[in-house]
Amino acid sequence: MAEITVERLTKRYGETLAVDDLSFTVDAGCVTGFLGPNGSGKSTTLRALLGLVRPTSGRALVMGRPFAELTNPVESVGAALDAHDVHPGRSGRGHLRTIAAAAGLPTSRVDEVLDMVELTPARDRRVKGYSMGMRQRLALGAALLGDPKILMLDEPANGLDPQGMRWLRDILVALAAEGRAVLISSHVLSEVEQTVDSVVVIGAGRLVMQGTLSDLVRGDRRPALVRSPRADELRELLEAAGASVAVDGRPDSMHVHNASLEQIGTLAAEHGIPIFELTHEVATLEDRFLELTGESGNVR
Amino acid sequence: MNTLKSEWLKLISVRTTWALLGAMILIEGLTAGLVTGLSDIADLKRRDVATLIIGTHLAIVFMFTLGALLSTNEFRHGTANSTFVVTPKRERVIAAKLLVGLTVGIVGALLYIAVNAGLGLSILSSRGIDVDADKAVNGYIGVGVGLVLGCLFGVALGALLRNQILTVVVGMVLFLLAGTAALFIGNDVGQYFPGESLLALQGTPGADKTLLSQTDGGFVLAAYCVVLGIAGMIFTRQREIT
Repeated sequence: MAEITVERLTKRYGETLAVDDLSFTVDAGCVTGFLGPNGSGKSTTLRALLGLVRPTSGRALVMGRPFAELTNPVESVGAALDAHDVHPGRSGRGHLRTIAAAAGLPTSRVDEVLDMVELTPARDRRVKGYSMGMRQRLALGAALLGDPKILMLDEPANGLDPQGMRWLRDILVALAAEGRAVLISSHVLSEVEQTVDSVVVIGAGRLVMQGTLSDLVRGDRRPALVRSPRADELRELLEAAGASVAVDGRPDSMHVHNASLEQIGTLAAEHGIPIFELTHEVATLEDRFLELTGESGNVR
Repeated sequence: MNTLKSEWLKLISVRTTWALLGAMILIEGLTAGLVTGLSDIADLKRRDVATLIIGTHLAIVFMFTLGALLSTNEFRHGTANSTFVVTPKRERVIAAKLLVGLTVGIVGALLYIAVNAGLGLSILSSRGIDVDADKAVNGYIGVGVGLVLGCLFGVALGALLRNQILTVVVGMVLFLLAGTAALFIGNDVGQYFPGESLLALQGTPGADKTLLSQTDGGFVLAAYCVVLGIAGMIFTRQREIT
């Protein structure tokens, strides 16, 4: 059974459709990236999963049931929605103590978690003096207090420096390796591409794709790049064979759509046209992500 | 019990709590000291116990604000997210806040009475003025209950309104302005407003005001707290945390 199940979730705020018939699942033992532009419905979906907002229709389930029906929510789910969600006048340790007390956890667990997120030296400082990275660590610490089976983190890499990103990546991968389901949202794929095992991509509240990072690129239909000293001649042959060809201003290269590398190579060989380069242009994950989500826009 | 402990920790882990209690004691001490020490003896004798509790409305500003912060800090600083994720039964959180408000209200009231009685009575005594003991006890009970209810009022109103500034402004208007304004325009409804109920609860109203009896004033103020507290629980349970 999936640890997180979103089934045809729709959430409407007045005229605004925040989430639109969204469905996906998240399994234990892996880090799943929940990706989409700002305003695409990621936070609303997480809030629906945590019982903070009510779905207009559909279901958002954690361990097979609505969040409110979990017998021990803290041991089931740890969540960090916004690193700024803390009283600035409270110390980091004080903040975690209030959450631990509500969950019936001992203060010793607070100190363990502070160690885990490497905030022990700053634990008695007031949070208003924390950097963004420290606040992110504190938010993760709060989520980890109950040693939960599921982690939901909204933009946890936001504001982290490169060292912080690496630290976050290592800790999330380690937590998933212990069998937890980890769902992290981001609007920047590059922030999480080295961390996640699979992705759920949404745009304008709708599911765009769910799969692995390879799946994200596999759906790409980019043209073939062909370089030849007889490019004009080859172009005519390709167009006669039904391919569409675009030139980029260089005399020896062209971008060919609707023809496989094999078809292009065979055609060139049949006419004795030398080929210097014949390859599919490679889309970066970021390119693909922007292509998938770009059309959805982010303001509704 | 866990929720109650958490709410107590939230209260005592920020400096604002201590600052508000400290400011209340300081101002109360100054008021009691200056009024009893500097006023004309004939005037003090005429006003009797009313002299002692002259600073109550200032004190209730502090206690109300303390109660309001207990509720509204959750929304002002976004901690409502973690609070309601850890405790999905939200009415428990509001109930715990009310209990913590009750406790800190009692602490505040006791501090108020201790400072007021300690300073004010000693100064009056040193100036040869005897205060009617029964009236003084009656007045202090009324003031103490009023301060506790003022704090609860803040918790409950904050749970209902959520917005910190709005809650404090509405509270100040209700306690300091609305009832008086209604009384001035000759509307008897004014005596049922929180500020006027508080005055009645003190049992030493100014001669020129139409107020409820001390007991009725207490009941009216308590009724406000109960109604607002229940409404706060219901609304908090129904509302979406966005």
